[in-house]
Amino acid sequence: MNKVRIYLFATLRDFTGVKTLELEIPAGMTIAGLKVQLVKSFPKLAPVKESMMAAINREYAMDAEIVPQEAEIAFFPPVSGG
Amino acid sequence: MDYPTIVSITEKVIDIDALIAQVTLSSTGAAAMFIGLVRESTMRGKAHLTEYLEYEAYQPMAEAKMRQIADEIRQKWPSVEGIAIVQRIGRLYPQTPTVLIVCTAAHRDTGVFEAARYGIDRLKDIVPIWKKEIGPEGEFWIEGHPIPKPGE
Repeated sequence: MNKVRIYLFATLRDFTGVKTLELEIPAGMTIAGLKVQLVKSFPKLAPVKESMMAAINREYAMDAEIVPQEAEIAFFPPVSGG
Repeated sequence: MDYPTIVSITEKVIDIDALIAQVTLSSTGAAAMFIGLVRESTMRGKAHLTEYLEYEAYQPMAEAKMRQIADEIRQKWPSVEGIAIVQRIGRLYPQTPTVLIVCTAAHRDTGVFEAARYGIDRLKDIVPIWKKEIGPEGEFWIEGHPIPKPGE
């Protein structure tokens, strides 16, 4: 198993009411798999799942990437700074 | 020669004079700056009014991405001397500066204008910051920019 810290931002935090959580996930799980698990835990995220972006240890991560041990993960919508 | 690079996510007022001073060297003769502000009255697209914007950031990643943008600017425009990239977050009202990019160089014809333009365009594409707009018709999150490519 792999214990990861997850941060949610913007719409994702608004929809769930959760800023951060810790999850035990199976070793070898990908970002895509983690998204599925997250939407299972928070069904309100289903409408934004397709546009949801991810970061592993503060770098953008694609769906196929495997979540490393004890990683810091973030999920968020496309960015809109400026 | 070590050129100054300042990146910051802050809740405080953006001190423009202080930032220019920090990116000005004895060899500097030009500073190109972009400042983004909260617009009260939007005419482009669906016309509407804004009471305020609420900004948030994934601060450690945002500052890392700003540093990456500064590195990209230095690769593309080696004559750029100082770079400052600052995003203010929190609740910001119309006519308030929200973001500042300043690039300095010895002369104005060194690409320094293009460097500042590149900085704000990249910030809007890859720096994890979001804003919610609050107006007479309620509140809604502002739709984000294109998704970064692998490796960005």
